[in-house]
Amino acid sequence: MRALRAGRLLFTKDLRVLVRSRGLLAVLIGYPIVIGILLALALSGGDRRPAIAFVNLDATSGRTVQVGDERLSMEDYATSLEEHVDLVRLDPAAAEEALSAGRVSAVLTVPKGFIADLQSGLKPPVLQLATNPRSPIEAQAIERNLESAIFRLNQELATAYVTQVLNLVDLIQKGGTIGIFGRSGTLMGLDDSNRMLAQVQAQLRRDGRGALATRLEPLRVYISEIGGNLELAKPAAQAIASPIRLDIRDGAPGREPLSALGIAGALVVGIGLVGVLLAAALLSAEREDRVLSRLGRGLAGPGTIIGQKAVLAAVACMIVGVVLLGVVAVSTSVEVGRWLLWLPALLLAGLASGAFGLLVGALARETRTALLAGLMLALPLAVISLIPGNDIAYWASALAGFGPAARTFQGLLVDPEVTSSTYSGMGIMAVVAVVYGVAARVALGRRMHA
Amino acid sequence: MGEPLLETRGITRRYGGVTALAPLDLVINRGERVALTGPNGAGKTTLLALLAGVGTPGGGDIRWVGDASRSVGWVPQRPALYPRLTVRENLRLFAGLERVDDAVATADRLITRADLGEFADRRANVLSTGTLQRLNLAIALAGAPALLLLDEPTGTLSPDQRVRLWAWMDDLVRTDGMTLVFSTQSMDEAARSSDRMLVLARGRLAHDGPAGAIDEAAFMTLVEEAP
Repeated sequence: MRALRAGRLLFTKDLRVLVRSRGLLAVLIGYPIVIGILLALALSGGDRRPAIAFVNLDATSGRTVQVGDERLSMEDYATSLEEHVDLVRLDPAAAEEALSAGRVSAVLTVPKGFIADLQSGLKPPVLQLATNPRSPIEAQAIERNLESAIFRLNQELATAYVTQVLNLVDLIQKGGTIGIFGRSGTLMGLDDSNRMLAQVQAQLRRDGRGALATRLEPLRVYISEIGGNLELAKPAAQAIASPIRLDIRDGAPGREPLSALGIAGALVVGIGLVGVLLAAALLSAEREDRVLSRLGRGLAGPGTIIGQKAVLAAVACMIVGVVLLGVVAVSTSVEVGRWLLWLPALLLAGLASGAFGLLVGALARETRTALLAGLMLALPLAVISLIPGNDIAYWASALAGFGPAARTFQGLLVDPEVTSSTYSGMGIMAVVAVVYGVAARVALGRRMHA
Repeated sequence: MGEPLLETRGITRRYGGVTALAPLDLVINRGERVALTGPNGAGKTTLLALLAGVGTPGGGDIRWVGDASRSVGWVPQRPALYPRLTVRENLRLFAGLERVDDAVATADRLITRADLGEFADRRANVLSTGTLQRLNLAIALAGAPALLLLDEPTGTLSPDQRVRLWAWMDDLVRTDGMTLVFSTQSMDEAARSSDRMLVLARGRLAHDGPAGAIDEAAFMTLVEEAP
């Protein structure tokens, strides 16, 4: 009860001091929000087109593939890819050197025999993509870009092939002119064959040779059924050409979509920096004001001081998080829901980063040192927490709770169902908060009774 | 001489490899004004801080006599308060932390008593050194202590501010029956403002006697001959 009363008094005092220190407040809260928003925009990518080295090892074959009425070469393929990425045509050695030097983001290689494979249809042709492992975020974006480009191209090819097949089916059914090896001829077609056979049967019956006409009947039925079955195959072939169509429409004007990674990045950096810097500044200020010796005489113990400042930092982080999510909900097409999970997630992220900041504040001798140390430790950890699919980055950034926070936020934004990883991320944040809170309490206790 | 208020038995304190306080036995009596003097690094601040409960002795123990245990006001050498709060807010906060029944009334009473009325709603970071020291002392009085420990309270004050401060201290002893233990670098101040003078040298108690019993020459001899 005494500790609660002391904590409430110090909480109110801290709020009052913060409100009066507008410059400090701007640095502690405004700066992280601005950095977070800038990071969100940067991670969302905008319209930037990555530069990709294009190595064509099949160029000397000079082969082309006939698709419908058109004959396509590898250059046509590259031209269609250029609608999505900037291709730089290089030889293999130059491409490897450019990738290593970071002048291109990836190398796309067309292996020997690509067109032959495409033409034979015996096995699917394969393109090879090498990305720079030092830029995993960009690599992921490039992979998505190329997958999208190749999907569209495959769809166009499939449609052309099926159209060609359907033309042949039409030719078999209805007859017409066919060109083979530069020479053309007339094909009769199943319909005409059926009609001609029926006429022959009628003539035979008129000539009193009904038995022979009857013997021809199975052949006429067979021709008729083939025609019917080929007719049935047409819609099936159409479906194979494009089983699912993607209808792309422009969004409402003025609502630019941010990626989940961008939003999670803004939240992690914003909340992380607010929590760390605010907590570190609040605690080191107690020392700079020399009041710890007074408080330590039974007025407020280290546990009370750490607890009230952790709560203050967490509440500030939650407010910053809600404001950022509000901005996202109002200004982008992302729908923000699940508020019953967002609030504890933001609170836990604030507690974890706040406890980390409190440890920094308890160890630093003055406020400026605490702020500088907090910034130097928190900013890189927050940034590496956004590297996707990298366990080392995840656990390194988990040191301040940032990695689990990033995954939890992304999960809440995009996962169709709330998964166990969301809850485990929140659990890890709670553990981080407790560990740093206890460590900060021990360090502060030593300072107060040194 | 009053009844014993506090006793120390063999208390020690070391910082790293340096002995700040050798085993020290001491009795502080109720209503006394005790001056603690000695050269820099003699252990004056360490002794006061241990008595105030700011630090923990490395050895020995501090025993409070009677029901006045832990009722201590601590006035550190440099003001320990919140610069961005006003005088009134600082006093209300520390009165609240001392768990007094009515923090608002206590703060108002201290403002009057410390002659801080003119500055009550000014922030502490705009106060002059003398006014700030009065606030520092008023905060220490928020819990109505039986023992007031002051670490070089007049070190940064002008002569007129010193006179006013000691007049207030005398009033606290006379009117409230408070016990004072203060450290000072001035033999004159120690002789003038105390009943009893302690001399610390190299962490040991070199002298314990009535105020004015030793002059500067005797003081120098004590300091130089300290083991």
